Amino acid sequence: MTATAAEAAAPHEFPLPKILTNPASTPPTLITQGAEGRLYKTTYLLPDIPCALKYRPPKPWRHPVLDQRLTKHRILSEARILSKCRRDGLRVPDVYALDEAAGWLMLEWVQGTPVRVNINQRLGSRTEGIEDDEELKDLMRRIGAAVGKMHSIGVIHGDLTTSNMMLKPPAQQTDGATGLEGEIVIIDLGLASGGVHDEDRAVDLYVLERAFGSTHPRAECIFSEVLDAYRQSFKQAGVALKKLEDVRMRGRKRSMLG
Amino acid sequence: MAAAAVSSPLPPSTSPSSTAATTSTTTTTTTTTASSPPASMSSKSSWIALGCEGSANKLGIGLIRHTPTSTTILSNLRHTFISPPGTGFLPKDTALHHRTEFVALARRALAEAGVSPADVDCICFTQGPGMGAPLTSVAIGARTLALLWDRPLVGVNHCVGHIEMGREVTGADNPVVLYVSGGNSQVIAYAERRYRIFGETLDIAVGNCLDRFARVLSISNDPAPGYNIEQLAKKGTRLLDLPYVVKGMDCSFSGILASAEALAAQLLQLGPGPDGAGFTVEDLCFSLQETIFAMLVEITERAMAHVGSSQVLIVGGVGCNERLQDMIASMAKERGGSVFAMDERFCIDNGIMIAHAGLLAYRTGFRTPLEESVCTQRFRTDDVYVEWRD
Amino acid sequence: MAVEIVQLEHVPSSYQIHLALFRNVKNAGFLHQQLLARNADFEYAFIDASTIVSRVHLLSAVFKAVNSSANGTLRTPNIHSEIVVSLSSSSNIADAYRRFGVSPSTSDLFVVKVTFPSDTTPEPPSADSISQHLKDNVEGDAVPATDQTIQAITDVRTVRKSYKLNGLAWLDAIKDELVKRQEIERLILGGMALRGV
Repeated sequence: MTATAAEAAAPHEFPLPKILTNPASTPPTLITQGAEGRLYKTTYLLPDIPCALKYRPPKPWRHPVLDQRLTKHRILSEARILSKCRRDGLRVPDVYALDEAAGWLMLEWVQGTPVRVNINQRLGSRTEGIEDDEELKDLMRRIGAAVGKMHSIGVIHGDLTTSNMMLKPPAQQTDGATGLEGEIVIIDLGLASGGVHDEDRAVDLYVLERAFGSTHPRAECIFSEVLDAYRQSFKQAGVALKKLEDVRMRGRKRSMLG
Repeated sequence: MAAAAVSSPLPPSTSPSSTAATTSTTTTTTTTTASSPPASMSSKSSWIALGCEGSANKLGIGLIRHTPTSTTILSNLRHTFISPPGTGFLPKDTALHHRTEFVALARRALAEAGVSPADVDCICFTQGPGMGAPLTSVAIGARTLALLWDRPLVGVNHCVGHIEMGREVTGADNPVVLYVSGGNSQVIAYAERRYRIFGETLDIAVGNCLDRFARVLSISNDPAPGYNIEQLAKKGTRLLDLPYVVKGMDCSFSGILASAEALAAQLLQLGPGPDGAGFTVEDLCFSLQETIFAMLVEITERAMAHVGSSQVLIVGGVGCNERLQDMIASMAKERGGSVFAMDERFCIDNGIMIAHAGLLAYRTGFRTPLEESVCTQRFRTDDVYVEWRD
Repeated sequence: MAVEIVQLEHVPSSYQIHLALFRNVKNAGFLHQQLLARNADFEYAFIDASTIVSRVHLLSAVFKAVNSSANGTLRTPNIHSEIVVSLSSSSNIADAYRRFGVSPSTSDLFVVKVTFPSDTTPEPPSADSISQHLKDNVEGDAVPATDQTIQAITDVRTVRKSYKLNGLAWLDAIKDELVKRQEIERLILGGMALRGV
């Protein structure tokens, strides 16, 4: 949930959703303007409960009927899925409140940084020895386990990237901390759906694999750790991984025509 | 004299095939950014490339000149193979078209550019991705020219050709690229010497979806099915429910095509009007465009958010669609950025983009030896090492 | 003072929230009767406190009701009934009243009153008058509504049943009671936010 340089430099201010125009102890902060909409850091009920407010503003370029349909559907679907994940013991943000007609969803504010940031900090400008970085590989395995847990409870994320996972640091940092410790919290389930089909799981993994490759090209060599941990995380994982090979092939076939 | 010799290994120029209604849509462009000195092989302050494109149903040949400070399009010709309404272009017929037209088009391109074969530094050709037979036909033409004139070959990735031409024409420095054509639908961004694919279609390309939909309703392929759908969509008013399938930065069009085809069949059977299907061909075209383009805008926006860019460049044949351009522009504006789009001269497949991207590679020392000049139907955008950018 | 004024984030400034907790309530039957009779003097949300796990739990319902009131999207006759219904994770209104509302057997009672200027009452009642009215009509011991007090009142078994939180192996496996309670609260908030949609 860290703004990139371009976002921070955005020259214009967006109108706040109506709910955030009401009085609060601290003004809301715009964290990101993602494709999903805008993410604000604000407070829920009391000044000491930080929360994330996901707001999907109307998209004027979209047909209004399609826009309303998508917005309502996505707010409700994301909340339902988060709630399901939480009930089934997968660590995702808590749902605090929502208003699907107004296009907002209030969620727990997850402490920490997106995994993308942790990986990039770890990589720095290194080009060698990445495949032997045990701490980094351990992080990869935790990612694989979290994705596996999610798939095992019948949830397909739909937008798995290293930006859509938070690394929530442990309450107490020990000496010699690498900055890679902590709990993986999967966020941004705005495109998630229920599903237990191996095909859908494979596509989910493929999306992550590709996003990982394009975001962390130098760490691509240790992505297999993610899949290894995934394989061990639930019974059907092997079948989904087999399917992943098909999806990869099909992905390449896609560029057949000019 | 050289031109006369070119024709010998190729089939003689014949009239267009009787089964295919072939229409010429050649375009000539001469954009001069600076008055360049005449090409000189020795000083190398100027380079000229000839580019040949034929990965789908357009045969394009163009000549370009680079100097350290300018790029000049010397000629940009195109000849399109157009199949009758209700049909698509088949590889065999398309390959025949390209073989048939290659020599005449190459001659005209040289003549319009006003250069002789001796002025040309390299012969660039599309090495893939695309349809096998048409690619191969054009590659044979390119190899022949290279041997005949004793010039090196430069194999070019078709997608990279689109991207580099787009950057050159629009001045977009480091945009997120939406590449949408009959064969490709990709969202691309540059990172660490490669054009990396952030999102793409999980099944059929967006242009393919439009083309195949047009066939069901026998919408004309002249000048292009997508163009005719766009004109019909302008008169549509009712938004029909079609599947909207976005997965991360990828999307899928096969479900939409199936739904649209089913609705089209319903329309053909019942007719429009309240007693019939209750919607018109125009409504269906409108709904198809609104849904598909909303998906494309969404994945583009997601990629922009992901890489932190506010510029978008649209390339590929579908990129000519003004509704798509408007939607992307509106999205980019809201993000504090802007869109770079091109007209049909460069959006639609052309030879000049192959010449341009090839020449960029040539100037870094890249060559394609004859024995490695085979075409490949599958050629990923991110397979190309982009030596010429930082 | 028995009645606490609660300030909530993102609530329009025209709304004022009054909260009181009574233990050892002797006349729950009478209060229940006033609601059934729609006695205009008893415009309160009367909530059986044993169904509440924390302040945040209760205040979440208040927040939702205020938001619906401000948006003009109340699903029930007024903001007070809306608070009771907002506690529920289902969309069944009668079921919500039954589970969370006051009943003749209620002994620990939450009272919430939300005031705001409206066409019929441009000048809402003052905190003092509310306080006095409750003092005169609720037979019970007013206590501060702290999380500690609430915890002593909560009937966790019934709460878990109301929010369908039984049979969650991972939840049962939590040893630390405090952590478990926090997890229950979190799950409840999610259930309420979704209210069966």
